[in-house]
Amino acid sequence: MAKLLIVDDSTMLRDMLNYALNEGGYTDVTEAIDGVDGLAKAKAASYDLIITDVNMPNMDGLTLITELRKLPAYSKKPILVLTTERSDEMKTKGKAAGATGWIVKPFVPDQLLKAVNIVLSR
Amino acid sequence: MSFDISKYREMFLEEAAELFDSADNILLEAEANGDLTDDEMNQLFRDVHTLKGSGASVELSYFAELTHDVENLMDKLRNHQITYIPQMAETLIDALDIMKEVLDSEVSGDITRESFTEQTTSILTDIREFIDGKVPAHLQADTPAKETSSVENTIQEDLVVEDEVHDDFGFFDDDLNNQIDSTPVYGIFADDDIDNSNEDEHRAYGFYDDELENLIDSDVHNANIDDSQENFGFFDDMMPMTPEVASEEPESNNAEDTKEVQTTTNAEPVATKTEQATQNAVPKASSNNQASNTTPPKARPTRAVKEEKKTSSTNNNIRVNLDKIDLLMNNVGDLVITNAMLTQFSSTIEETKTRNSVLERLELLERHIRDMQDSIMSIRMVPMESIYSKFPKVVRDISKKLTKKVEFKHYGDAVEIDKAMIEGLTDPLMHIIRNSLDHGIELPEVRKQNGKSETGSITISAEQANGQMIITIEDDGKGIDGEKVALKALDLGQIDENQYNSMTNDDKAMLVFGAGVSTADQITDISGRGVGMDVVRTNIQKLGGIIRLNTEIGQGTVITIMLPLTLAILDGLDIKVGANKYILPLSSIVESLQPSADMIKKIGDGSQDLLMLREEFIPVVRLHQLFGIEKSFEKLEDGMLIVVKSGNTKVALSIDEFLNQHQVVVKPLDKNFRSVEGIGAATVRGDGSIGLILDVVGIINAQINLEKIISDAKKAS
Repeated sequence: MAKLLIVDDSTMLRDMLNYALNEGGYTDVTEAIDGVDGLAKAKAASYDLIITDVNMPNMDGLTLITELRKLPAYSKKPILVLTTERSDEMKTKGKAAGATGWIVKPFVPDQLLKAVNIVLSR
Repeated sequence: MSFDISKYREMFLEEAAELFDSADNILLEAEANGDLTDDEMNQLFRDVHTLKGSGASVELSYFAELTHDVENLMDKLRNHQITYIPQMAETLIDALDIMKEVLDSEVSGDITRESFTEQTTSILTDIREFIDGKVPAHLQADTPAKETSSVENTIQEDLVVEDEVHDDFGFFDDDLNNQIDSTPVYGIFADDDIDNSNEDEHRAYGFYDDELENLIDSDVHNANIDDSQENFGFFDDMMPMTPEVASEEPESNNAEDTKEVQTTTNAEPVATKTEQATQNAVPKASSNNQASNTTPPKARPTRAVKEEKKTSSTNNNIRVNLDKIDLLMNNVGDLVITNAMLTQFSSTIEETKTRNSVLERLELLERHIRDMQDSIMSIRMVPMESIYSKFPKVVRDISKKLTKKVEFKHYGDAVEIDKAMIEGLTDPLMHIIRNSLDHGIELPEVRKQNGKSETGSITISAEQANGQMIITIEDDGKGIDGEKVALKALDLGQIDENQYNSMTNDDKAMLVFGAGVSTADQITDISGRGVGMDVVRTNIQKLGGIIRLNTEIGQGTVITIMLPLTLAILDGLDIKVGANKYILPLSSIVESLQPSADMIKKIGDGSQDLLMLREEFIPVVRLHQLFGIEKSFEKLEDGMLIVVKSGNTKVALSIDEFLNQHQVVVKPLDKNFRSVEGIGAATVRGDGSIGLILDVVGIINAQINLEKIISDAKKAS
């Protein structure tokens, strides 16, 4: 069973993500409330996929990805960014930080699951 | 698979209330000191950004549309593409207000494109001018436009700012609707084509890797690993049922049931402002939300269980329905009673050794139950901050309207209060603050003339002392003219001349809490009808609290509210009246005594007794008489007197004797039976019988009415 970590400062979005993932069969989902929490949780366990928001207090999602990529355990693991921006600028930034892909927020549950299935199937 | 959006909308409304508070408070401060730090700008941006993202996620498209523009301005500010100027604060505060309005109307389904345009045109015009680096003409009064140094070229890259922006809303709609609709179109998004992928605009996700990108187009089903393949395609039917799920009640959609209390196991006062959210929690939107209709009904129960588990794993907070905590409290109350019954029974065991050892162990059990009671009580407690957070905005809005300058300070944000009290307390406090603003604080010119600083101050503070919650609201305004109030009360027949003559200025000023009394010469829409302060006192009394008022003309007014820490349990004293037993709340007792004959004075026709205690005359209430119980003694000195107090009024209750003191679990009487004058609530005693808890305020009022009837009768004869 794949272990997932979702990082978002909004309780509601964490809930929605978690629900969608659960329904898609991913029941081993851990939540983190910001980049700092996410980094700590990522270090404490080994996750197969991390999905993170961009704008968060304490540590934003892009910094989190940069930090995660420095860790041997996460240098190759898939990381998806959740973004409200469709702008190329955000996508470029996500790529520069080392993200595997992006998911647009608000997300469609089926789309989210497809994206997750794809990165995890590799 | 689809979401039950309406459920998430409720969560969103709670979250939105917190975000609005946070943003409002930053802007209020910015408005006050004319500056906005980088940290504050970032926080503002995040708040509004989350509002937009989450709002769009729960399909509030109008709200998201408006918020998008506000977010744009904040984004430019935080990136220093435009410079913050003081005029922005007011526009942004107004914008947040309009966002709240749009949110309200959209959630209630009461919004159309026309009404939205009407609501937002003027604010959007201002915001877009700011985004363009201009200052809207009507805001240009005191700051020259050139102060808004803007970086024009960086602004242009944004998709929203166009020349015809001010007239054409359609453009924004399309743009945003595309985002909200999230049309699932696929396309290749490979390494090099970031810049020119048109399809990209509509894609819901993408990867920075050719190999992954190619997988998007390939048959996803086949590409999946085993367990996900198994689940793919029937998400809606796949219910990971657990035993708890089966027994879990379906979530109620009733707005009343969404009262929540947030349990904080780490001392951090995070996100406890659930109160506002509750108020905003509009009736379920499922009727106007198609998405929720398609959700299989059994999807809901699962959520409730999972939600609790999950959330606790992240920030140690869970949201619990207040009713559940009440139920738990009730259960422990029953446990207390059972324990008492057992103790009573065990004390009849004849064999001494067995009896003692049983009683000893029961005592231990009792201690554990008490601890449990305390723990449950602490769950119900939330910080005062959750009440305070509403006030700065109100003070700002009203003082602006009245052209008064007011500084609002609050202390004791972390002091905890029973969640159940918040509802009853917020309105009275709000009213007192409104009154202070309207009638207390003078206009800047007047203050200056009187040698005061132009800016008035209103301070609210909360503390816990002597097992009570003490809240004070202090202003440095003109004070209350007790004389004026008393004359009005005299006029209305609320006091008689004797009373009038014996009153201090504070006593007289206290009369503003009487119905129909207001010293306001002019009735404003903020206060002054003399209705409010009366309601304030009634509401506080309902919470078992009392109000005190100290005022000095020209100097200001201090209103002190004393409240019990909780409404759920109280320390009571058993008293015996004739053959009946009652419970008297310990907090209302001043002292008890066995009177001697010379302490009792008769007045009037001899039917009314007064207790003379240390130079003070206290009216005596014969509880036998009040409750129609057969007298067990004639002379007061044959019984006991207990002096009780509510506010500034004292009465002495004549009783047979007092018995033991103990904690009781309060059960409302009017819910289970009906309300009875002089009785506040009921409890279940150790032996399983019902105990009635006296309502001191009610008894004092009954006494006052009785005195009035007697004096009226005297006047008439």
